[in-house]
Amino acid sequence: MKPLSFKLKIKPEFTLDISPLTPDKLAGKKLAQIKSIYLSYGKQRTSVDKLFTVSGNDTANIQFLEGTEKLLCVGQNMSHGSIEVHGDVGNLAGQYMHGGIIRIHGNAGAWIGNSMKNGHIEIMGNTGDFLGAGLPGDPYGMSNGLIFVHGNAGDRAGDRMRRGMIIINGNAGDYCGSRMGAGTIIILDKAGKHSGFGMKRGTIILAKQPRHISATFKSCGNLKMQFLRLLFKQLSEMGQQFAMFKKYGPEVHRFAGDLASNGKGEILILQTIKSRN
Amino acid sequence: MKATRIIITAMTLKWAYRAANSITGFASSVIGCGCESAIEQELDPSETPDGRPGIAVMVFAMSTKDLANQVPKRVGQSVMTAATTACYAGLHSEKEIPMGKSLRYFGDGYQISKIINGRRFWRIPVMHGEFVCEETTGVTDAIGGGNFLVMGKTARHALTACEKAIEEIKKVAGVITAFPGGIVGSGSKVGSKYKFLAASTNEAYCPTLKGQVKSDLSEEVGSVLEIVIDGLNEEVIKQAMRAGILAVCSYGPKKGIYRVSAGNYGGHLGAFHFHLKDLVK
Repeated sequence: MKPLSFKLKIKPEFTLDISPLTPDKLAGKKLAQIKSIYLSYGKQRTSVDKLFTVSGNDTANIQFLEGTEKLLCVGQNMSHGSIEVHGDVGNLAGQYMHGGIIRIHGNAGAWIGNSMKNGHIEIMGNTGDFLGAGLPGDPYGMSNGLIFVHGNAGDRAGDRMRRGMIIINGNAGDYCGSRMGAGTIIILDKAGKHSGFGMKRGTIILAKQPRHISATFKSCGNLKMQFLRLLFKQLSEMGQQFAMFKKYGPEVHRFAGDLASNGKGEILILQTIKSRN
Repeated sequence: MKATRIIITAMTLKWAYRAANSITGFASSVIGCGCESAIEQELDPSETPDGRPGIAVMVFAMSTKDLANQVPKRVGQSVMTAATTACYAGLHSEKEIPMGKSLRYFGDGYQISKIINGRRFWRIPVMHGEFVCEETTGVTDAIGGGNFLVMGKTARHALTACEKAIEEIKKVAGVITAFPGGIVGSGSKVGSKYKFLAASTNEAYCPTLKGQVKSDLSEEVGSVLEIVIDGLNEEVIKQAMRAGILAVCSYGPKKGIYRVSAGNYGGHLGAFHFHLKDLVK
C-alpha cells in the first residue's frame, strides 16, 4: 500500500482547516470519497479535489507533500496512524490527539499539541507559543504523550500541562511550564524568563543555566537525582534522535517551586550552579 | 502458582545484593512464608532500566492475591530501606500487582509520579536521596515445586553433589531454587498425623528411621537432600532439573551418590509431573 498523499494545487491565501484529513476520519474511504470532502478555506467550503492532488491508498499513513503556515489543525483528534508534513504548518496541529504520530518537517505555529491526550508529535523546525498548552476554557493542557521539537519553542510551552513530556532541543521562550500541574519539560538549550511560573507540580529540566529563576523557587542544592538516570537511559533507548540523552548524568541543581502556588514542582538544572539561597 | 520478577538496582552490585538477599529472606516455602523467592540472576548495567548494576529476583505464590500481599511489603521493608536502591518490574503482563502504587504513600505527599515510555514510576523522597519504584509489576502463571532427591552415603557426599547441581541450575534463566543455598535439608510430605499440620517430615526418606518405618532408602544411604525448583514454565523447569540431575550423577557411587529420585507424593501434589528418566534421555 502507498501512503495517502496530498499535494497542494494552489498557494493558500487564507487559513485552510485540514482537520477532516486524519487516519481516523479517512479510514475505509475510497479516493473519490476523499476528494469530495469539503474543507474550510477562509470563509468558504472547498472540496479536497480543488485544493489537493490526491494519490495513494493507505489512509493510516498520510503525507502532505508541501506545507504552509496556513494549514490548521493537522491531525486534530487523531487516535492512530501517522501524518507527515513536508513543510510548515500553522496553529493547532495535534489538537486533542490521543494516539498516532505527527511528524512536521518544517516550522509549526502556535498551540501545537493543544490538550493532546496521547501520541507523539515531532517538529523538525521551530514552533510558536503555547506548545502543549490548553486553550482558554480547557481545564488543562496536554495530558499525555510526547512532543519533540528539534528547534526552538515560543513562550508558555507546557502551560497548564497535566502529564506527558515535552522535549525542546533548542531554546524555549518565557514562562515555560507556567501553571504546570504535572509532566516533564526538557529544554536542551536556553530557557527564557520566569520558567515554571505558578507551577503546582511537574518537572522542568534545563540543560543550561537559565538567565533568570523566579524568586518563588527555592534551592534544594546540588544533588544526584536517581530518577534522571532512569529517564535519560529510557529516552536514549527510544531511537537515534534521542541519543543525545546518553551524555547527561544525574547531577543537577534542584529548585523547588513555585512556592507562590502548591510548591511541589521542580526545576532541575543539569549544569550545576553555585547555590543561590 | 503465580510469579513475578523484580529488578533491583543500586549504586554498586554489592548493595543490590544486600537488598536482594533481604527481600528473598524467609521465603523458602509458600507453606510457612507466604511466598517462595530467590535471586534469579545478576544483571549488567546495560540490562537494567536505569543503567546501574542490578539483580533480578523472582517471587512465587499460590495466588495473585498472595503475591499482591507479599511483594509491596517485601519491597517496602527490604529494598526501599537498603541504601541507594531502586526497584523495577522485571516482567510485564496484562495482570499486574501493585508495587510503588502502595509504597508511594511513604513519600507523605512529596512523592512524584512520572510516566516514561508508558510505564509509571514513583519517585519517593528518602533520606539517601530518592527511591524510584515502578508502580506495578506483571504477574504470570508459573510452576512451583519441581524437585528431585539426592541420596548419598553421608550428608557431606550429598551436599557436595547438590552444590554442584545448584551451580548448573543457576545458569538456566527463569527458574529459582528458593530454599537456603537452593537445597532442602528437611523435605516434607503432604499432611501429618497432627490435624493442624499441613506438612510433616517425609519419614520414608529419613535415614534414621530406616528400621522403624516403610523406608524407601537402601541400607547404604545415610543422607537425603532435596532440590526444589520453581520456574516460569514447564520447559525451563525441565531444563533446570536435567542440568541438576546430570551434575549430581557425574559424582556416581564411588563418590558416595547412590540414587536420584523425586518426591511425587503419589502424584497428588500439582498438575505437572516431571519424569526423571525422560529428562535425562
